[in-house]
Parts: sequence; structure tokens; C-alpha cells
Amino acid sequence: MKNKPVPEKWTVTFIVSRQKGQGKRHFEQFNLEVDPEEYVLDGIERIWAFHDRSLTFRHACHHSTCGACGMLVNGVEKLTCITPIRSVTKDSGTLRVEPLRNFPVVSDLAVDMASFYLNLEKAQFSQVAPIQNASLPFEDQSMEGDLERLVDCIECGMCVSACPAAHTSSGYLGPGALAAFQHSLNQKNDPRLYDLVDCHDGPWRCHNAFECSAVCPSNVDPAWRIMNLRRKIVSHRLRRLFKRREAAKP
Amino acid sequence: MKNAPSPAHWLRWFDPRYRQPGTWGYILNRITAIGLTIYLVLHLGVLSTLAKGPGAYDSFITLVKSPGFMLGELLVVAGGIIHGTNGIRIVLNSFGVGVRDQKVILAILMALSIIGIAYFAYVMFLVD
Amino acid sequence: MPDRPHAIIIGAGFTGCATAHDLALRGFDVSVVERGEIASGTSGRTHGLLHSGGRYCVTDPEAGVECIEENIILRKIAKQCIEFNGGLFIALDESDLAYGEAFVEGAQACHIPIEQIKPAEALRLEPNLNPRLLTAFSVPDGAFDPLRLALAFAATARKNGARFFTYQDVTGLALDGKGNVSGVEVWDRAADQRRTLHGDMVVNATGAWAEKIAVMARVNVPVKPTPGVMVAYDRRLVQRVINRLCEPADGDIVLPQRRMVVVGTTSFEVSDVDYIPVVSEQVRMMYERAIQLVPAVAQAKMRGAYMSARPLIGTSIEGRSLSRTFRCYDHLEQGVEGLVTITGGKATTCRAMAEKTADLVCEKLGIQAACTTKEVVLDSYRNYYIP
Repeated sequence: MKNKPVPEKWTVTFIVSRQKGQGKRHFEQFNLEVDPEEYVLDGIERIWAFHDRSLTFRHACHHSTCGACGMLVNGVEKLTCITPIRSVTKDSGTLRVEPLRNFPVVSDLAVDMASFYLNLEKAQFSQVAPIQNASLPFEDQSMEGDLERLVDCIECGMCVSACPAAHTSSGYLGPGALAAFQHSLNQKNDPRLYDLVDCHDGPWRCHNAFECSAVCPSNVDPAWRIMNLRRKIVSHRLRRLFKRREAAKP
Repeated sequence: MKNAPSPAHWLRWFDPRYRQPGTWGYILNRITAIGLTIYLVLHLGVLSTLAKGPGAYDSFITLVKSPGFMLGELLVVAGGIIHGTNGIRIVLNSFGVGVRDQKVILAILMALSIIGIAYFAYVMFLVD
Repeated sequence: MPDRPHAIIIGAGFTGCATAHDLALRGFDVSVVERGEIASGTSGRTHGLLHSGGRYCVTDPEAGVECIEENIILRKIAKQCIEFNGGLFIALDESDLAYGEAFVEGAQACHIPIEQIKPAEALRLEPNLNPRLLTAFSVPDGAFDPLRLALAFAATARKNGARFFTYQDVTGLALDGKGNVSGVEVWDRAADQRRTLHGDMVVNATGAWAEKIAVMARVNVPVKPTPGVMVAYDRRLVQRVINRLCEPADGDIVLPQRRMVVVGTTSFEVSDVDYIPVVSEQVRMMYERAIQLVPAVAQAKMRGAYMSARPLIGTSIEGRSLSRTFRCYDHLEQGVEGLVTITGGKATTCRAMAEKTADLVCEKLGIQAACTTKEVVLDSYRNYYIP
């Protein structure tokens, strides 16, 4: 860990998207003095605390476990509580902050995540899983014992924001929810989940852009999970087909 | 539905910044698909000239040998190759093959496409 | 008294959400107003430790007993967002060992089930612990997701009719001619509009900001905002909560949270809680303390650092020696009717805080309704978003 006696000071211009009620979306500028090691969310919070109390944004845990603070930073989805200012701009530079895409904007940087959460709920996706089941299958799963952990997906919605298919279709379940279905099927092989996810708005609408896995801050790899989900569904359909054939035999 | 996500503005499609290679594959697939469909329609239209007798068809064949037209045909070939290799990538991914190495595979397939297109260009323009 | 009294709760952190849940179950019409989003104040920033009470059983047995009782209840009603792998208290030197004796007595007095385990066994359970450890005690600690615990209470409250209004900044309390509270004046920050909400009782559940609200009715509460730093590292080095076997001090907790470990915390006073900058010396101190418990933190990268402001109750005593218990204030004692304040406490005791608050509200309004929150398993936290 570096030993810095005096914290650096940068001057950064935050360009923040604003929108109130039915008003037009526009940008406002705020000049801040920041320590480049600070996080983008710290800057947003300071704008609220000292410059404009009407700024609304979502945040809770400030350490990438709640998933509330996802925003577009310079056009790319970022979890602002763990994005150091140093990584997205330079001294005397600008920092453009906008709300996530593909969600209705409530106000300024806060979006309405209701549909996303409700899709995740359809997947009956449990946040706590046995530790052997919590990570991706191709990662090291050599833990023994009765341990459990909170799973990787923090339900931040950045994957939906980045997805070009979600961009065109509001009915698409989206990478996060589809990854949740896949994870849920791993945790409990409930056949009713297949009926819910195997639809026009399910994994068949994905077209391999892989934007979701690129922006996921939490090792979920939704794209991999969607491909895995496709295979699960096909196996399930085949098994059902052969079971029916068996049952139909005299 | 009150809480449904609102898809973003259509202009976003024309913003080339910050896109993953996979999205470029997605965009190319759509552009080549539109191109190939237009080609198919034109092709059927051309074949219908056969019904108008030998003169109409022969005059069309002279047009076909013009360089502008041959460039168009090269574009069709390019579209077909790109669309085909991308399709292979998507089929492989759906069977769980190469999902974790998808960027590398896409790069290799696009390189092969460029080689293929170059070869066709050579054959079409430089070989009699 | 109307048969469905309207309670207005200011603050949607753990206390506010749990109180909304309790009052909704008792038949109240509940409105919660929150300046930010659910759990966007102190509650969201807890490191997520579901206390067994072990940390307080020597110096603050009142808090210790509260913790173990609520620990057992939360594990039943909020299983959906708690990873329960237990915790360890580890001794690294002689003074820790000496504290260990008081620890055993304290745990017994508070009915906290502990078990002493040998260093070799502790290292087998947690290979990344400091190999110099002298002894260890296992305790029923757990780790929870802060936002989702609050949402779980809020979801269940909404199911029972409570309404949550986020982005509503309380700018004043509506007062009748005699200075009693009859409602809240809010600035809707999302729509940039102002309005007044009237209710039969206003519950000030703003935790560290309790004094700011209290002065709007010209009363006060002795709450001291006492922030501390938390640092998150990007590797899940331990599966259980690791505590230093000593009196509550800085940086004596390392706990897992998804693929991270979080180290906390410090303690110092501030007067303005709206924004507390991260102090890099404190971050450095967390690092130094963490590597004593889990040396492998030195190979991990820092993922986040932030400040969280505890609401400590008490008057001018040094921060840490103030009790970590909670208190409910009926401001009628200061001459103002219609307002109660609940503050202090910790995340683990939020349900008990809500119970006491709801009891007080019912008593003041002459309502006979018993608390049932010990038994009611909370609804899925995602159902908060049902339109």
C-alpha cells in the first residue's frame, strides 16, 4: 500500500444529468476539488451536501454490496462507490454522470428499478446460497463444510443498462434476471421456473453482445449464465419430450 | 405497464463509443442481414428478366460485368461471409463452446472473414 | 381517536422500516418519509455484522443481551439476507488472553453460546487467520446485506398497507397553536414540490440526525453522531466474522461480505452528519489493524472506503464508552405532544427498537395492540417494488 503523506488535489468538473418531474433532461456543471483516490459517489454526495440539495441519486452501502449506486460515468456503466475518480478522468478534466439506461428516470440520477427487481423475484432467486453453489461453476469450488454466503449478484441493473437487446425491447427479461433464473435452477431445480423463463422474452432474445458481462461489477458473468440457461432449457425440453413419448407408449 | 423499463433513445444506436466486440458482431449481423435480404429481392427480380426473353437477360449480363456492379457483388460476398462466421460464433456460444473466450474467437473469425473477402476480391477483379 | 390512526415515520433506515412494519401489523395507517432512498443514511453503511453480543458482553452487558436475543429472532424472520457462518473472537497477545476470562463470564451472563477452540482448529476453519493466535472463541455472529434487510421490513410493511415516500426532505414539523406536532412539512426533491402531511403521531427515526428533527419542535435528544471508517478489500479471505478478543477498539472486526472482506471501525465525533469525508489516516489504521487479524489483507486490493455515522446516546462522555443500546423518547416530557424519537441502537436490534417505539406510540394514543414482529417472517425484500 502506497504511503502518501499529502493527498493529491485535483479540480474536476462534474457534468451531472438533471431532470425533475416531467421537465426536460439537461446537464448542470459543478466544479469540485477532489482527491483522485476518492470515489465518484463521494463527489456526487458532496455536490448534494454543499452545492445543490435537490440532487437525487440512489446509494446505500458504499461498498459494492447493495447495488444501488450504478450510474453512467462518461458513457459507461459504473458502480460509483468503487470507481475511483482517478480511473475515469484527469486533473482539470470532466466527469459526465448520467442515470442508467433502459430504466425510467425518477429524478436526476435515480431510476425506477421496480421492473428489474420484480423480474428477479420471478426467478425465485435466493441471495444466500451454499458456498459451493455461490460462484460460477468453472471457478474453484473446493470449499467444504456447511458454509453459506451472499451470492455475487448485487442486483445493480448495470447489465440491463448496457444490453442492446434491452435497449430495443422493454419486455425482455434482461441479463440480470436471466442470470438469476440460471442461478435459481442451480440452487433448486424447480421445473416451474422453466415455464417462466422459456418464452419470447427469455434467453432467446439475447444476441451475444456480451455488454452485460463486461460491466458487471460483481463476477456474475450474466452472458455465460444465459448460454448455460439455454442449454438447460433445451435439455429440459428434450427430457420432457422423451418422457411424453414413454408415457404415450402402450 | 407502469414500472416497465423505458428503452433508451434510438439515437443511441448510432453512438459507436464504448461498445464491446460482441455488440459489433450484433450490429454487423443486422447490417449484413439487411444487405443480404435486399440482394435476395434484387436477385429474384433479375431472374424474372429471364421471362422477358434472351435480349433483356443478355443486356443485364453486360451490366453485371461493369466494375461498379462487381463491387456490389463483392459487398454481397462480404456480407455473406461476415454473417456466416458470426452465425457460427453464436451457434458455438449457444452450445456453451467458447463463451469465456468469445472476444478472441470473434477476432479470429473476423480475421478469417477479411482473408475470405480479400480472396474473393482477388478472384473477381484480378483473374479473368 | 380514529380507529385507524395515521403514524408518520421520518427516516427509512432499519429503525424506520422496522417501526413501519410493527405499526402496520398493529393496524396503523403508516406513512414513511425519507430524504434519500431506503437505507441511504447510516443503515446502508453498516458493515453488515449480525452481532452475537460477544463484543459487548463485558463492557456493555445491556447491549449484549439485546444483541443475542435479536440475533436469534432476525435469523428466523430475515433469513433471506443473512449469511450465518458464525464468528470467532481471537486472542493475539497476553492482554487479549486476560480479557478472555472476562469474556467467558460476560458471555455466560448474557446467555451468548460460545465455545473455546484451539488455535490449530481455528486455523483449520479459517486458514487466513494470523497463525500467532493464542486462542479463539466461536460465537453465533453472522453477516447480512444492509439494504436488503431494510427492504425486507419495508416490503412487509407495504404489504400491510404502509406507504413509503422517498426523496422527501422534512423541512419542518407542522405545529398546532400550542407547539404540539401534528404532521411534517416536506420538500419533495424528486418533483421539486412542497407539501404538508398530517398524522396522529410523528416518529422521529432519523438516527444520527435525530437532533436535527427534534429542534424543529423545539425539543432535543442527546444523540451524538459518532462516525467510523470502514474499508472493503477485494478478496473473501475469511468465511466467518473475525473479532479481536479485546474491549471494543478501533479496527477490531474483519468480516466477509460477498467476495470481499470489510474492516471496521473507528470512532470520533462530528457535528454535521450530512457529509463526512474519509480520513486517509484512519483507512491506513484499518489496514494495520486488519493485517494483525488476517495477514493476507496485505495482498488484497482496497475496493472501497467510506464513513458511517452511528447514533450514540448520551452526554459528554467519550464516544466508545457510551452505551450502544437504544432509547425511546416521548417528547411530552419536554412539553410537546405528537412526537416520539427513537435513536441509538444498532442494526441487530432494529426490531426491538421498533417494538419499543410502537409500544410507546400505542400507549400514547390509547391503542391496545400487541407486538407480533417476533414471529412474522418477513416478505421477500424485492416485493417492496410491487406497484
